[in-house]
Amino acid sequence: MNSQPASHRLVESVVLACLCAVFAAATWIANGYALKDALGPGPGFFPFWLGLIGAVLSLVLLAQSWRGSAIGKVVEGLWPDRAGALRAAALLGGLALFALLLEPAGFRLTALVVTAALLVALGVRRPVAIAAFALVSSFGLFHVFYHWLKVPLPVGPFGL
Amino acid sequence: MDSVTHLLSGFAAALSPAYLAYAFAGCVFGTLIGVLPGLGPSAGTAILIPLTFKLDPTGAIIMLAAIYYGAMYGGTITSVLINVPGEAASVITCLDGHQMAKQGRGGTALGIAAIGSFIGGLVASIALALIAAPLARLALKFGPPEFFALMLLGLCLVSGLAGRSLAAALLMTVLGLLISMIGIDPVRGAPRFAFGIADLYDGLGIVPVVMGLFGIAEILITAEQPVREIIRARLSNLLPSRDEWRRSWGAIWRGTGIGFGLGLIPGIGAIVPTFMAYILEKRLSKTPERFGQGAIEGVAAPETANNAYANAAMVPFLTLGIPSSPTIAVLMGAFIVNGLTPGPFLFQERPDLVWTVIASFFVGNVILLVLNLPLVGLWAKILHVPFRYLAVGVLVFCVLGAYSLQQSAFDVWVMIGFGVIGYGFRKLDLPLAPLVLGLILGPALERSLRTSLEMSAGEYSIFFTRPLCLGLLIASAAVLVVAALKLAPKQLRQA
Repeated sequence: MNSQPASHRLVESVVLACLCAVFAAATWIANGYALKDALGPGPGFFPFWLGLIGAVLSLVLLAQSWRGSAIGKVVEGLWPDRAGALRAAALLGGLALFALLLEPAGFRLTALVVTAALLVALGVRRPVAIAAFALVSSFGLFHVFYHWLKVPLPVGPFGL
Repeated sequence: MDSVTHLLSGFAAALSPAYLAYAFAGCVFGTLIGVLPGLGPSAGTAILIPLTFKLDPTGAIIMLAAIYYGAMYGGTITSVLINVPGEAASVITCLDGHQMAKQGRGGTALGIAAIGSFIGGLVASIALALIAAPLARLALKFGPPEFFALMLLGLCLVSGLAGRSLAAALLMTVLGLLISMIGIDPVRGAPRFAFGIADLYDGLGIVPVVMGLFGIAEILITAEQPVREIIRARLSNLLPSRDEWRRSWGAIWRGTGIGFGLGLIPGIGAIVPTFMAYILEKRLSKTPERFGQGAIEGVAAPETANNAYANAAMVPFLTLGIPSSPTIAVLMGAFIVNGLTPGPFLFQERPDLVWTVIASFFVGNVILLVLNLPLVGLWAKILHVPFRYLAVGVLVFCVLGAYSLQQSAFDVWVMIGFGVIGYGFRKLDLPLAPLVLGLILGPALERSLRTSLEMSAGEYSIFFTRPLCLGLLIASAAVLVVAALKLAPKQLRQA
């Protein structure tokens, strides 16, 4: 009898299959580098064996997963409820937006827009709090890091 | 005598106003990050690395080390007040600490945790100062084969003790090692797994990867969970009563011994000493039924063990270059970012830095005590900041940290990518500690393996003809066999 729910086992199997594919690809690519040269082991030696060991371990775990539980713990909250999933998705989307806009728009403008949007997405409805938080985490942090700690941060259009 | 002279010079430097300020700031930021729900010491230390960019290496390491043990203490506050451990080592503190808070003795619980942490940390720092130099001198006699075997032992210990499945932990170790292969081959200078992408020639940065795996993943997981109730604890009586002192005193010393002893073994992790300290107190107690109902020894012993462990874990890290836990691995990343390689050579090349950092541990423990007893009420108030603001603030800080290391948006994408990977792995209970340790030790492990084989003209017998190397390899194999035997019955029961 399997201790893990079927949906969990399916996800586990998919992840392990992906890892197995990554390790197999790494083995194949490493085989293209020199495994040995005049001085001893070449650049491909270590990654080749790592890829091979990783692929074998993934297959072992995959086999265990099909038989029952590969990793051990029964994870109760594999899938979050709708509200939780939306919160996590909003944060991830905000991060992606941040990475996309950071260099073209500069840190201050990007942080201002992204933090304000994220707070709204997470359910904050107080305009003053949103504005204050967005200003501190954009212009405030920029000032601390750029001027005080001398950490170069991207500057966007109009010197912002 | 040499160590004493070095330590005194270290104290002279550590007590300079600038380094005192860094240690103080580190303790404040560390405790703050430990208090914030959803952020453990690993994520906290990684996130705060950017604050140290403009400091000299000694100042940066002092501040990050202070952040590390500050975060370890901060986790206690959430354990006591909201029954949510700020980090894994504080799980056991929830049992009695939260009960004490419910009974209106939250202040005493936090007070004894601070005092126990101080004593445990101080004793462990003294022992660290005594044994670090001789151990580093011994390690200087190691050649590449011994270093290879030693790092392998470290990885085996972490894999063997990391999770519920040995194969899964080994898989994560191998994955970390493989990720560390991306970039220029350290021996021949040939690019590997770069696929013509210029950003990959330098490899993946440790800081963005760790921030993603720990910081982003933790925030995403916390965002999914419902908001927890916070106990409005009475925090006026911080000092224990005479009877509570009597009960705690032995627990504190036993916790110190357990924490320090286990901290010397790489891979043990902070959870084991805290649980052992708790179980020992329960066994020794004449009234074990009080445990779980608010027994002060149930807070004093694990909290002391936790801090003694945190300081003792610096021994294998500083002397052998083996990080014992993910947080120490993050700290190792910070050393590397600052152009320093922890290990025996650091004692030779930068004794000023090593001994100043060791002296700063003493100073940091005093600062933590002075800071935490009077400010415990303030830390408790921070728990009331809504998660929405915390999550957004932490994300902005993560982006700042990942970007500012090399001024590259690519690193931000790396952080996001590893955030998603870390989130998935956490959901499936795949252990992250072996992955991070593999990632950090990978280049050195490969270098020592290849140098060893070059020394022997490709003969693997070099690893079996040197007694110390052979001993370490046998120990590595023994760790894996014992772990497999220990885990096999559990897995059979689950199947």
